[in-house]
Amino acid sequence: MFELPSILLADAGGLMNLKACLILAGAIFSIGAWGVVARRNVLIVLVSLELMLNAVNLVFASFARMHANMPHAAGNATAGEDGQIFALFIIAVAAAEAAVGLAIVITYFRNKETVDTRDMNELKQ
Amino acid sequence: MIDFAFIVAAVVCVLSGATIVSRKNPVYSVVFMLPFFLAMTTLFVLLGATFLASIQMIVYGGAILVVFLFVIMLINLRPEELREDFSMVSWFLSCLGAGFLAAIIALFAQRGTTSDMELKFASKVVERANGSIFGSIENLAYPLFEKHMIPFELASVLIVVATLGAVLLSKKKI
Repeated sequence: MFELPSILLADAGGLMNLKACLILAGAIFSIGAWGVVARRNVLIVLVSLELMLNAVNLVFASFARMHANMPHAAGNATAGEDGQIFALFIIAVAAAEAAVGLAIVITYFRNKETVDTRDMNELKQ
Repeated sequence: MIDFAFIVAAVVCVLSGATIVSRKNPVYSVVFMLPFFLAMTTLFVLLGATFLASIQMIVYGGAILVVFLFVIMLINLRPEELREDFSMVSWFLSCLGAGFLAAIIALFAQRGTTSDMELKFASKVVERANGSIFGSIENLAYPLFEKHMIPFELASVLIVVATLGAVLLSKKKI
């Protein structure tokens, strides 16, 4: 079994707790949601989607750590690892989503010469 | 020390995230994804999720970022072709959303969680019954291949389908 670096063993002042992590994740998720809603460039919309997925991953990792520190999880050998596995699945889905979304962007640009969502109104007419 | 690392990572996350969504040229957005993913990896390491941090760096920083850069290179937008992106309505909606977010954060920071959940979870390594380490590859592998085996296999099917779909979409003349 390898030795953990000393930064993880040191006693912290306690600023990094669950509340701080959740507020940070909420801020990142809101920034990403604003990018999805307000921007008109498809590439930036896709990047903002990645931001939102990252914020969700941060929430999963925080709650996994909290669950492992709970008193009733002391005897369980893998309490809290389920949250990290969920985050791994989210990363896999994000990779698939980025591949398909960017392929659609390339195809659309090849046909219409634009990546602006204001021009994507063929279904409206 | 952990507090310092957490504050630096959080500030880098928020600032690079704001830069990502506010640049007019998508090249700058994609380039600023790199410090964002680095800071997110730092947060995962501080939370004890070491394997998740390495996967985050490999998949996001190594694969998704490069795919985005390749697509920008293929599309080859000239900067003068980019139009003005924000309208007054979206500025108004943005201010409204920021106000709601500030209200939620203020409420949450004031009320907070119960004292039982205020764990200083970065401060110490979780003691395990069999001496294993939280978030290590061994501890992730057993639940992943036993309890979550079917979603794991379905994720591989999803990635194969996505790969085929991406190849077909970008190859044919549609």
